Amino acid sequence: MSGKASSSQSSVGLSRSSALSHVYIQYPPLRCNVPGSRGLFYDDGNKSILSPTSDQVFSWKTVPFSPLVAPTSDSISEGPILSIRYSLDAKFIAIQRSDHEVQFRHRETGETFSQRCRPESESILGFFWTDCPLCDIVFVKTSGLDLFVYNSELKSLQLVETRKLIVSWYVYTHESRLVLLASGMQCKTFNGFQLSSAGVIRLPRFDMAMAKSEANSKPVLAAEDINIVTVYGRIYCLQVDRVAMLLHSYRFYRDAVIQQGSLPIYSSRIAVSVVDNVVLVHQNDAKVVILYDIYADSRAPISAPLPLLLRGFPRFNTSVSQSSREDSGSSEANVVPDNEAVIYGDEWTFLVPEFICDVANKLLWKIHLDLEAISASSSEVPSVLEFLQRRKLEANKAKQLCLAIARTVILERSPVPMVARAMDVLVTSYSHSVKTGSYLKGIKSEKTSPCSVPHVSSPRSGADASASRVDALEKSVKHASAAGVDNEYASDSEENPSSEPPKTNLSDLQIFDGSNPLNANGSEEQEAQLTSPAISPEEMYSFVFAPVEEEIVGDPSYLVAIIVEFLHSANSEKVKVHPNLYVLTVQLLVRNERYAELGLFVINKIVEPSKEVALQLLESGRQNFQTRKLGLDMLRQLSLHHDYVLFLVQDGYYLEALRYARKYKVNNVRPSLFLEAAFASNDSQHLAAILRFFSDFIPGFQKTSDHNTYYRILNEMNSSIAA
Amino acid sequence: MGMSAATTAAEGIKFCIFDLRRGQQEGQELDKILFFFPADLPFSAQLSVIGLSEGLITFTRIFSPAAACEVIEAERHSHVFYEAEPDIWMVMVVEKNESEAIWRIDALRKVLKEVHSLFLMFHGSIRTLIEKEPAGGLIRSHLYPFIMDYLSACQKRSLLDNCCWDFLLGKKLQLPSFRDCLKERGTVQMLTVSREAAIEVQSLVRVLESFAGNTQFYSLILFQDLLVSTTLSPVDTINLFTYAVLRLTPRALSSGVSSWSYLRKGSTTSNVATGSILAQSASVSEQNFRSQDTSPPGGVNSHHIARPLQPDRWSKGKDGFLVTDIWGAEASGSTSATPTIWLQQTEERVYVCAYQYRSLTLILLVPVASILNGEQGVLVVKQQILENASLKMFQIEEKLSKGWAGENAYHVSGYRYLLVDGDRDVSRASPPGKVTTLTKESLLALSKVREEVDLEKGRMEHDNAGQEKDLEVCIRAKNNAWVIARITKGKELYMVLEKANETVLYASDAVEKFSNRYCNGAFSLD
Repeated sequence: MSGKASSSQSSVGLSRSSALSHVYIQYPPLRCNVPGSRGLFYDDGNKSILSPTSDQVFSWKTVPFSPLVAPTSDSISEGPILSIRYSLDAKFIAIQRSDHEVQFRHRETGETFSQRCRPESESILGFFWTDCPLCDIVFVKTSGLDLFVYNSELKSLQLVETRKLIVSWYVYTHESRLVLLASGMQCKTFNGFQLSSAGVIRLPRFDMAMAKSEANSKPVLAAEDINIVTVYGRIYCLQVDRVAMLLHSYRFYRDAVIQQGSLPIYSSRIAVSVVDNVVLVHQNDAKVVILYDIYADSRAPISAPLPLLLRGFPRFNTSVSQSSREDSGSSEANVVPDNEAVIYGDEWTFLVPEFICDVANKLLWKIHLDLEAISASSSEVPSVLEFLQRRKLEANKAKQLCLAIARTVILERSPVPMVARAMDVLVTSYSHSVKTGSYLKGIKSEKTSPCSVPHVSSPRSGADASASRVDALEKSVKHASAAGVDNEYASDSEENPSSEPPKTNLSDLQIFDGSNPLNANGSEEQEAQLTSPAISPEEMYSFVFAPVEEEIVGDPSYLVAIIVEFLHSANSEKVKVHPNLYVLTVQLLVRNERYAELGLFVINKIVEPSKEVALQLLESGRQNFQTRKLGLDMLRQLSLHHDYVLFLVQDGYYLEALRYARKYKVNNVRPSLFLEAAFASNDSQHLAAILRFFSDFIPGFQKTSDHNTYYRILNEMNSSIAA
Repeated sequence: MGMSAATTAAEGIKFCIFDLRRGQQEGQELDKILFFFPADLPFSAQLSVIGLSEGLITFTRIFSPAAACEVIEAERHSHVFYEAEPDIWMVMVVEKNESEAIWRIDALRKVLKEVHSLFLMFHGSIRTLIEKEPAGGLIRSHLYPFIMDYLSACQKRSLLDNCCWDFLLGKKLQLPSFRDCLKERGTVQMLTVSREAAIEVQSLVRVLESFAGNTQFYSLILFQDLLVSTTLSPVDTINLFTYAVLRLTPRALSSGVSSWSYLRKGSTTSNVATGSILAQSASVSEQNFRSQDTSPPGGVNSHHIARPLQPDRWSKGKDGFLVTDIWGAEASGSTSATPTIWLQQTEERVYVCAYQYRSLTLILLVPVASILNGEQGVLVVKQQILENASLKMFQIEEKLSKGWAGENAYHVSGYRYLLVDGDRDVSRASPPGKVTTLTKESLLALSKVREEVDLEKGRMEHDNAGQEKDLEVCIRAKNNAWVIARITKGKELYMVLEKANETVLYASDAVEKFSNRYCNGAFSLD
């Protein structure tokens, strides 16, 4: 997506409601077309699309996603290809040639070897590479799992462990490191293993729910009915129940699998994607997509079902912006095949987590959320803000939207309780992000992405990522990593008991690779640099309160009410508020001449004391001397003795100032200030007292010109009195 | 409650209100009198008091046109003057030289001021009422019950309270004497709250304000008898606070069942007796007024004179709102009319909605002009309070109750003090129960010192406009107690240290310590 162009486009699209949608794919797609291709394979371990020909395999990186990425190629030997995956260290290519054989090829040397199974008793269902310390590659066979390590001396695989199970079919995603093995008549009994860098975790066997159709025929669960999704660091399985027309969800804990409830479905063909922790349920027949934010208990969709939008397609996009027109022009001739624009075509395959592969046209689309459209579709401001605050992928856009929403609700003078909840959402989110360190991470380290939490044994997460972490992060994050909490959301579950099933000793299966790639770098998008949409109190002041204060018309007491609510939230979250906000509060109260209330604010320390506030009180106190006194008192209580003395002199209390200066040893005030003040009051006794004071306490004062001048003046005053 | 045993006979204390613009022709002098206590004094005696006062006023005006006399000290009497409104004077004559009747003039003037302020709040200005009905019946019929209710406001602020809120016991007036020198009338007492609680209170205040829409509602929140928050101007805050403590706070409401009720009963009967003469004259003129009234015959209520200071007329309804029939009942008769008061700052007439949850009292003031359909609109506001504010009130009450150390919360051991912040009209003092432990000598000494300080304050105000002077008095009383007064930057501190060391250094250290711990160092500037 090319940054600004698309956002401006989307705002145009919004106003023309014909193209209303919450999810879109951006034209142009990644074209994975090579002559002689034998199909497309998705290697989710390496996040690349593979297209083998008879003697070569082409590989396109999908992360960072760019339609212009050039493929790399490797030569392979001829033969049938059932599946193909690069090893995680990218040294080997593994190709499943048949039910009984997987062939390995060393990419540099070109050496090959094969691993076979006993053809009479078992067949290979598939395989995947793993970063589990126990093994390098796992074969899933009808008789169970075989775990192998690669022995570089022998140049062959060595079996390290076998798990004997009957397997009908399996589902694996590298993202979750979770393999689910289906068995039984209806294929609804599951064994699960998580093979992560922390070792192998075996999940308890569980059955999935299947409604019976009216006849005796029992439906059989198919692999495409099972979707493993990871959101907010939790692993779920979404299972389609075609008879009940429900999508059942299960959450995986280390020692339990718990059904979480069901979502209705409206299509016989369902696909599930996850974009930025939002679950997208594609209702293929209806050609609409429903969004769920499975964070709290709520199973309500974020918004109404809406179609998936193809953006920037040259044929019907007349308002296309300059930049994307250039894009399309350069990549393709003017003739664009119509079938490319078919949404939810039969040939679409949904890849974990957020890609759509158009097998027929050899295209790869990346799914994007339209945060603006989503936030515009709901009037429930607090929940929209909550939703936006949870977004990581387009953190900057989410943040800007949050700021805009906050400004709007205040300018529209929405009911105070509603704005209060909105403020609370923002402050709580900020406080949370500071605790987990993601806020500082976003500010300080520009190139690490939030979810890519490196762990030591991952070969590719590399030293660079962890190094950047060390210099960038605060202690809290180090603590987190030291404790082995690899994902910030892991701590979420403890803080939100409401979203937790009744049992308390459950701990989530952890994820060892976020939805973001480990090797994402700053090149993807500017926006990706900001990793958290959290808004600091300083930003709340600069981008919400200050601009709103300029724009808001009429009685400013409404704004004071909102600031009070903001302070309320900040106080309960122990978030420090910028003094500028207090200064603004003082200004607003003064503008309404609500001096008595201002006094309450200051005395009860709702407005926390600071030099800025004190100076504002002194300034505002020009119309109201009680307020000025509050400012003076604040200076004194802050021990800003020098300023205090200066203001005392300024107000004519020069004798008091002198006594105070003596008591608190304020030595750097110019004597001339006091002398001038005493002279101005035309009181010779005072002038004499001050001269005497400085003569006594400042060595050498009697030799200064000040002393001489005022001594002469004093004599003149006295002689005139005498005369 | 250590009531001072002054046997001030009715002729001992006199209290009158008169209008200099009236009755200037011979034979019409009686017209001047708007109020006189005791009412059964012969008119000739009343006129002689007023004649003397008028003479003094006229005389002193020659020297000081803007501010005529404040007090005349005669051999046996003190005459305390207060010009409540232009040419409308309140004069109190008190007898001197009795053992307990040792008055501080400024305290007496504050009584006059308070009566008038409260009258303004409930009935508007005296002048307006006079102009409404030049015969004077209207104003008299308002003033008489009002002031008698005020004087008989048999209200104790606590069981241990030594303060004489009940001015009238039988025929005896109990005025603030030297025993009340650690109190300051015309100030509010505030609850010290944590920042967290203060923010929650402000949040509640803003929610209440948001009910108003385009107009402005005002609110006052009390915890026990202490002010927590106000959005009113200082003068209105003082008035409403005074009234709330007298009649609305939980303690004021529960006083009806206390053992003190017999006193009040006694005083009301005597009211009837003493007030009969003036009441008769008032009723006559009231009838005149009625006959002249050209307004459509609206009903009984049009001439119903509310007596807001009448005791035991408020009660807490089931819904938490405080109700009273003082302002009469609606035509339907089922519900009482919502009370209304005048705000001095904005000269608005506002409905008073008082809601109480345990120790927390919320008073919401709704401008009459902002509500089109009268009582119906008030009901809507009340509903809003129940729906949107009551939950917050519960939380605040809980929080404040947790942090509340009880009656003696502001006791500082070893000290008997009064702290007045003149800029904000706030005072705080040692709890009355602790003040009673002081000896009479100490109290007399402090009263004397305060008298002097009052004079000095008056002089300072006169001499240095805009400049505040500091003042420090520290004396050793006959009983070896230290009596201290300090004024710094508009803040006043009065203190009695009885069991103190004999050096003045000790006394000044004690002040310094107190100042640093309880006044943010306001009195330890040098």
